[in-house]
Amino acid sequence: MPYNSKMSLKAANINPHYHHTGEQLNEELMIIEAAKLNPQRFAPLYDKYYKQIFNYLYQRMDDKDTAFDLTGQVFLKALTNLSNYQFKGVPFASWLYRIAHNEMMQLFRSTKDKRAINADISDLRYICEENEEPFFEEYIPAIKKLIQELKEEELQMVELRFFEKRAFKDIAEIMDITEVNAKVRMYRIIEKLKKQLSKLKT
Amino acid sequence: MEPKFNIDRPKVSDEEINKHKDFEKLVKQFKEQSIDKAKHDKSWWKSKKVRYATVIAGATIVCTVTYLSLFNNTKDKSNETITTQNAQTTNNNNKQETGSRKQDLSRFISPPSEKLNIAYTNYKVDNAKGAELKHPSSSKIKIPKKAFVDKNGKEIVGEVTISYREFHNKADIIAGGIPMAYDSAGKKYNLESAGMFDILGTQNGEPVFIKEEVKVEFASANPQDRFNQYYLDTTERNWKYLRRDDLNNEGRTTKDELGAENSKAKNTKKLETLKREIEVIIPKKIDSMKVVYTNRASALPKPKEPLKPRKASGKQTFNIDASTSDFPELKAFGNFVFELGDENKNYSPDMNEITWHDIKISEGPKKGVNYLLTLRYNQRVEKLIVYPVMTGNDLAKAQSYYQEKFEVYQASLQKRENTEIALRKEMEQKQQAYVAEQAKKKAEYEKALIERERNKLDQMNKDFSNMGDQDKTTRIFGVAKFGIYNSDCPHFEAKSKPIAPVFTLNEKEKPIFPSSIFMINHTKNMVYTFPKENFGGIQYDENASISFVVFAKNKIYFVKKEDAAESISASSNKFKAVEITESSDNMADLRKALEI
Repeated sequence: MPYNSKMSLKAANINPHYHHTGEQLNEELMIIEAAKLNPQRFAPLYDKYYKQIFNYLYQRMDDKDTAFDLTGQVFLKALTNLSNYQFKGVPFASWLYRIAHNEMMQLFRSTKDKRAINADISDLRYICEENEEPFFEEYIPAIKKLIQELKEEELQMVELRFFEKRAFKDIAEIMDITEVNAKVRMYRIIEKLKKQLSKLKT
Repeated sequence: MEPKFNIDRPKVSDEEINKHKDFEKLVKQFKEQSIDKAKHDKSWWKSKKVRYATVIAGATIVCTVTYLSLFNNTKDKSNETITTQNAQTTNNNNKQETGSRKQDLSRFISPPSEKLNIAYTNYKVDNAKGAELKHPSSSKIKIPKKAFVDKNGKEIVGEVTISYREFHNKADIIAGGIPMAYDSAGKKYNLESAGMFDILGTQNGEPVFIKEEVKVEFASANPQDRFNQYYLDTTERNWKYLRRDDLNNEGRTTKDELGAENSKAKNTKKLETLKREIEVIIPKKIDSMKVVYTNRASALPKPKEPLKPRKASGKQTFNIDASTSDFPELKAFGNFVFELGDENKNYSPDMNEITWHDIKISEGPKKGVNYLLTLRYNQRVEKLIVYPVMTGNDLAKAQSYYQEKFEVYQASLQKRENTEIALRKEMEQKQQAYVAEQAKKKAEYEKALIERERNKLDQMNKDFSNMGDQDKTTRIFGVAKFGIYNSDCPHFEAKSKPIAPVFTLNEKEKPIFPSSIFMINHTKNMVYTFPKENFGGIQYDENASISFVVFAKNKIYFVKKEDAAESISASSNKFKAVEITESSDNMADLRKALEI
């Protein structure tokens, strides 16, 4: 089994902010269905997720104004394609995140804007803890380098899991992969990081 | 190209994010985009079916417009009737809800003592003008003009009485008898509150209803941003999640909130020292033990295994005078000769015919086992691998010598292994001692951390009444219907083995028959309420410090944290209680008992 119990134990670190109860999911679904018929009904979702989507984009970018512009674009795209939206038992936000990520990558490809990584020291500490390695401030430059050298897809996983503390189910939905696949990929990244982090000690 | 990496970049404020929110612009863009798309996409018109359908639809519209023009008045009236009926239905529902609230309250919200219950403050508001009410706690109730309607949906004329009360701490929650259990999609939680309020509206004793949302800016002593807003649905008998808490703590000294200063000063240094010990110093000590062990083990003398004498097999031999001082391992061999090894492919018998100018013996590829014989004749150099062998009596003598040496070797080896084991054991013992010390420090750290948080919260509760407006955090609620609103953080329900507590008074262990039981989790600042049917199956957080408040026959009893811990550790269901008031209307005594 590639992912172990340790990973499921770490579920306690999931950010409750992203968690939705069944009742909340149903409520969302009703709003979506209404918004498919009348765009004005989309307002509660716009209100609810604007900040989240902006933060998601700004977390990965350097320029604030571009992040705001892109946030608007994400919601426009979501509203335009709302008729294609299919409920998969996860918050509507996951779909928005996927649009946001695609739009952002498109932007990086077509302009000079550069991908950025934003993390708090506590996030870096969490990465070390997850890999059962001690964290010292002297490690920061080396950890930064490690993260910078990750492939885009691996970086995305690290950001979602360690910086934003999302559940595998949400990560899977955002990245358009299965939950099992998300866990497997995460396991591989952890192994990779673990190997590199253990070298920091020597 | 590597992405840029920013550490601890300042966050964008909610205010700035909200400034960029423009839903109307989004809808406008969407509509424009849809029109553009439609303009550019004319393929649909090419379909014959679409064209026929359009003609039919056009004809239908003409007919419908004509029909509506002729029968307009009748239709409008019937619509009006439907609307009114709907309004009545809604209001009837509202009425039922309000009417049943008192009944629900008696069952679902049960204050343990009517005298102790938190009183409402009444405000008169002219419905035509609206008002901004300021409660003594500094909370504000902002009522827009014409906010209230009667049970028939008609605007209220004249004054409305707004009854309002707040719950800020454990004593208030107990006095109000408000259930704090929360069921979210079948998962059970208990709520930790940052403050609650109860708001009602009446006119001449009759309930009124909210038409225009009332805003409550609730002044909370708790500055933390980890709470959600809930509404107590007395019909569903559950809290209903509304939204993330809308927090406004501008002007207050955020992190250094009340109480934090003192506890921070007292505890931070201790916490930092402990943390450093747990995370840096002790792990380093554990690692250094391994280094010390490795160094000491590798410094131990390594005994050398003696070379076992071999019997000559009859192959070509060379009689060379090799000194045993150069090769001490050959000492056991006495009179030995070197025998040609099988691995020499370059050997030929004609080598025996040559008188070699120089012959040299040196260590072979297998040190102590074989040797390299180098033969030189002018420019010709031959290298042969040879093995020391013996024959006859020499062999027996050498074997006996070897046996003696081998025993010494084995004894030395054993001694070395024993020393290694002793060193390893010593290292492991020292490491275990450090791990134990680390665990002890960790427990001490967690305890200090919990203590600090608890002190902070207690201090905040104590100081709430003395706080200036600028020190309070404002939690903004949109009130669309009257009732109880709460700023809460859900925690998983306690999962210990259920107990049926028996509360006893004084040394005679006189039992108390409770009418209400409240359990206080001091670690998480929570109050657990229990319906009577659950008195026999109370579960608690095993890692938390708990106490009980028990109401019985108009009296309040209190089980101290220390006494509760003693009963729990003794697996006893008897809890020693003390009476804290003469009669159960003394809020000050309750607060004192709860250290508020």
